[in-house]
Amino acid sequence: MNAVVFNSVTKRFQHRPALFNWLGRERSGATEALRRVSLHVPKGEALVLLGPNGSGKTTTLKLISTMLIPDEGAVAICGADTLQEGGTVRRKVGFAAANERSFFPRLTARENLDFFAVLEDVTKQERGARVEEKLGLTGLADAGDTLVMKFSSGMYQRLGVARALLKNPEVLLLDEPTRSLDPGSALRFWPFVRELLSGGTTLVLTTHNFQEAAAVADRIVVLRRGEVRSERAFGRGASTDLPSTDFSSTDHPRNALPSNCRPSLDEVKAFYFQATGDGEDAPAFETAL
Amino acid sequence: MIRVSLSEKLAAIVRRDVLTTIRYRNGFLLSAVGVLAEVVAFRYMARAIGPSFRPEGVDYFPFLLVGSGFYTFLITGVQAFLSTVQEAQQTGTLEVLLTTATPAPVLIFLSAFSAFAGKLANLVLFLAVGLLLFRVPLLHPNLLGVGLIFVLSLAVVLALGVFAAALQVAVQKGSAVIWLLGSVWFLTGTVFPVSALPLPLRWAAWSIPVTHSLTGMRGALLLGKSTSELAPEILWLSAAALVLIPASLGFFSRVLGRGRREGTLSAY
Repeated sequence: MNAVVFNSVTKRFQHRPALFNWLGRERSGATEALRRVSLHVPKGEALVLLGPNGSGKTTTLKLISTMLIPDEGAVAICGADTLQEGGTVRRKVGFAAANERSFFPRLTARENLDFFAVLEDVTKQERGARVEEKLGLTGLADAGDTLVMKFSSGMYQRLGVARALLKNPEVLLLDEPTRSLDPGSALRFWPFVRELLSGGTTLVLTTHNFQEAAAVADRIVVLRRGEVRSERAFGRGASTDLPSTDFSSTDHPRNALPSNCRPSLDEVKAFYFQATGDGEDAPAFETAL
Repeated sequence: MIRVSLSEKLAAIVRRDVLTTIRYRNGFLLSAVGVLAEVVAFRYMARAIGPSFRPEGVDYFPFLLVGSGFYTFLITGVQAFLSTVQEAQQTGTLEVLLTTATPAPVLIFLSAFSAFAGKLANLVLFLAVGLLLFRVPLLHPNLLGVGLIFVLSLAVVLALGVFAAALQVAVQKGSAVIWLLGSVWFLTGTVFPVSALPLPLRWAAWSIPVTHSLTGMRGALLLGKSTSELAPEILWLSAAALVLIPASLGFFSRVLGRGRREGTLSAY
């Protein structure tokens, strides 16, 4: 069973210039953030979306979370269509957005989590223990009574993960989760993410960090300018490139690939540069990695 | 499957708003001082105008106190709710809130309710200071009438708040609703009676819900009018609430869908 299915999804953002645009030079038209993207994530697997800034990684996560709805194609989460069954999807998906400020600054971490737990329909009987569990899991137990306005970027990021985990989601979305973490914290974060998978959670993580991709991925999709450049499932001895077509069928050969081995850092780098056609000496701002 | 009741969700939202308010320590104290200063200013304004001016059959000070207090409550409630939505857009909280298991219209309506609950404390303080400090006699107030007018007025302005929020999400200019409400204040009978206006403006005043809220509230609280005497205001406000609440929620759901399509939920 696939937890996430993208079937030929296109997402455009329209630019509507000001009424008197001759006063300025605002661009008009549309940006195609994703173009006919098809991908799937089998239940319990970790998919890493790897790509430079502006490649459509966050848009992909927003489409899964129902923050956005597709212009063409369809997104299904555990069989529920995000457009038709948004409520069902929202109960299954936890999203740790990259926006660090998406909390109530004058509430403590515990108060913030308690508030979101109510809105996530966590019952009163379970709520206290659930909040403590997630604070503990993300290493914030000692900071539970601190106003989040006093948090560092890394603490915000961990609190975002704690919030996403509150509903014990079937699908967890992490948008550049270690962007603000120091190297030591990042190294400790990746095994924690892998541990979540052992409980059956499906993970979709965006990054432009090769090391992170290598540490977490069962499967890597390289996105570039809104298109899937390549996709590979990494397993015991398997490194097969498969076409990005319709993955909704569980009979697709990719689904048979074992997923209990992580790719090496070199494998990830080679795969990425092969997919994008960039050399490691490509201009820094072009690869943005 | 609903596992957490609406009242529990409302309590959580009110708690969030109360904690946020009291943790802006200086702002909280300044608001209280502001209420006191306004009441004192109204008292001396009424004294300067003199005892012969008795609009709608009551002394000018209680007329001003109830009119201005209730009007401020209604308008600042809409404003507070709009600010909550604007802040949520700016911090990115809005997008996150809209991906929770709580449906967006429910969430937005409960948030609006909480914003008004916060302003209710201001209103109670305002009236209590005015009535107790300056010993305004309340002769047989119709408490049932006060309650009815209050609840119906709240329903109408909650709907206006949701309209403002929808406009904010749609075109990032929810403040247009505040501007519109603020610009017609002189028609609503806040500081002078509607009867002082020329006939065409009296018709315009009649079409504004807040006018009926103020007339009804003064009638019930200061003149002790019976519920049947308050019937015109009660009927007008009921009809407005019945039309505006579903219309505002429908409009909000529509702009939310558009925001999700265009990716503008957090645009501000």
